[in-house]
Amino acid sequence: MPDSDLVILDPTAERSPLRRRLSDRESSLRGPIGLVDIAKARGDVFLDELERLLRVRAPSEAIVRLRKPTFTKPAPPNLREEIAQRCRLVIQALAD
Amino acid sequence: MSATLSAGSLAPPFLLRTPGGDEVGIARPVGSPAVLLFFFKHDCPTCDFVAPLVGRLAQALAGAGLRSVAVSQSDSRSSLAFKEKHALEIPLALDEELSVSEAYSFDAVPCLVLISSEGRVLRTFQGFGRADFLALAAEAARSCGAKVPSLERPGERWPENRPGCASRLHDPTVAERRSVRQGAALLKARRVPVPVADDPFEFFFALGIDDGLPVVPPTEARVVRMLAGTTRSPEEVVALVPPNLAPATVEKIAINAVMAGCRPEYLRIVIAALQAACTDEFNLHGVLATTYFPTPVIVVNGPIRREVGINCAGNVFGQGFRANATIGRAVQLVVRNVGGGKPGEVDMATLGQPGKFSCCIGENEEESPWEPLHVERGFQRVQNTVTLFAGEAPRAILDQTSRSARSLATSMALCLESVAHPKFHGYGEVLLVVCPEHCRTLAADGWSKTDLRRRIQEATSRPLGQCLPDAECAEGIPIQALPPDLMGPDGRPRPEVLNLPVPKFRRNEDILIVVAGGRAGKFSAVLGGWVGGKMGSVAVTREIVD
Repeated sequence: MPDSDLVILDPTAERSPLRRRLSDRESSLRGPIGLVDIAKARGDVFLDELERLLRVRAPSEAIVRLRKPTFTKPAPPNLREEIAQRCRLVIQALAD
Repeated sequence: MSATLSAGSLAPPFLLRTPGGDEVGIARPVGSPAVLLFFFKHDCPTCDFVAPLVGRLAQALAGAGLRSVAVSQSDSRSSLAFKEKHALEIPLALDEELSVSEAYSFDAVPCLVLISSEGRVLRTFQGFGRADFLALAAEAARSCGAKVPSLERPGERWPENRPGCASRLHDPTVAERRSVRQGAALLKARRVPVPVADDPFEFFFALGIDDGLPVVPPTEARVVRMLAGTTRSPEEVVALVPPNLAPATVEKIAINAVMAGCRPEYLRIVIAALQAACTDEFNLHGVLATTYFPTPVIVVNGPIRREVGINCAGNVFGQGFRANATIGRAVQLVVRNVGGGKPGEVDMATLGQPGKFSCCIGENEEESPWEPLHVERGFQRVQNTVTLFAGEAPRAILDQTSRSARSLATSMALCLESVAHPKFHGYGEVLLVVCPEHCRTLAADGWSKTDLRRRIQEATSRPLGQCLPDAECAEGIPIQALPPDLMGPDGRPRPEVLNLPVPKFRRNEDILIVVAGGRAGKFSAVLGGWVGGKMGSVAVTREIVD
């Protein structure tokens, strides 16, 4: 976890880790839609095809292509920031 | 002076660090004929005066084996600057955490301590005294088997006495920080770092530990301060909180009380409220899970209302009073965070109500001619209590015209009849909040709470037949709820029982009465209860203890 000056005490019964709530899953394709390549081999091929399908199915939605520098480490803070600022939905290509 | 510093007592061994990071300290035995400790603060003028004298003494007897250590209560940079200013050529130990100062427990700096080879205090003094310093120097020389050095330079005039400055241990903010650190060491809750890039308040919303409004970050310092509001141990389990029946320790309650915005003196009220709410009789699980409206309404009685500022008067159900707002909120946050009870999950309320954020009032005992609620329920007037009642939101009882108690009580009855549904007679508990103006009207005719209850029951009595489901209105007392002895062979009530008068409430005592509100306004209120009896919830009163 990143260093922090502020540390709080967990107010819950601690039966599960205290985590950020996930946003509700969207039921419709409303962009901008981020396609994030995690830099595994041919992830770009998969995302190219996904982009092609999205442009057919949701032609008015903006698509943003982004890429991690390496799949071996978590996305760097500036990429996460960019995803948060530029995208409404995110699709990550994960597998080989 | 404390026992630590008297001649003959054992000098506490210690290990500190120099600004350069090296270890410096004393063990027992000290490993030299004697040790001289010079405790100082960088900004103490008397320490400035004494430092060069200590330097001279140290230098004069270093060859004979005297070990000298300057122990600073200041930060590293200031300590180093002090050492360089006085060209002190003795090791500098940093005691910014004040652990060694505390062990040696002196009140003022400079503090000189001469320690024997066995590790006992030979001589010590605080501030500056010419005679004290010379005597200490002489003793140091004797311990080292050396000649007494001449330390006063020609033309120098040492003052006979010069007071020192207070040890940093006595600085109020330092004392508080130390007590927080000590207290925090006892806390068992998981620590959650807030990521640097996050706005802490947004982070807490993302964690889902809020009630929709921002919460106060429960830092160690805040929780330690909150725990000072009770004499209970932080580990003590106060209640098992529904729906998950998770243990609410005093510590967990304190964490949620901080989040709610409570002051430490409110904590014991929150604790008592949870004790009352988590009883079988109150049935917090049911109150939480129901699709109906109830919230745990907290009524506070006793002198504690004045002590902590619980509003009992104008706008008592409204905004603007920290104790009222935060005590109720703390209870709700414990239910959410410890018990796991959340809207859309176990909390299935169809509409809910604003009181589910917080509902805590004080009874206006001072404006009431009657026994307060807690005295009626078996407590002494001087005792502090909370009464938990599973109540809906307050509804208006308007009567601006009645001049007699009977007329006013009749108005109240007519309004009360519509609790839940006008045809629901034989109802469970209700909380009637009588405003001071209405109170005066009732009391002027010599009416007691008992008289008021009796008139409410009388004026709400309707023939049973009017309370049953019918073609016009399908709602009413369910047939299957009627006592069997009223039923005929056809499974319906016998014709003659349809005229039996049925009051609104099952028992007169089900009408809980408190006096609250401002002096102006002829408006009282009713808070309808939930299902009563074993299946539902009954009001519970608990004493507030420290």
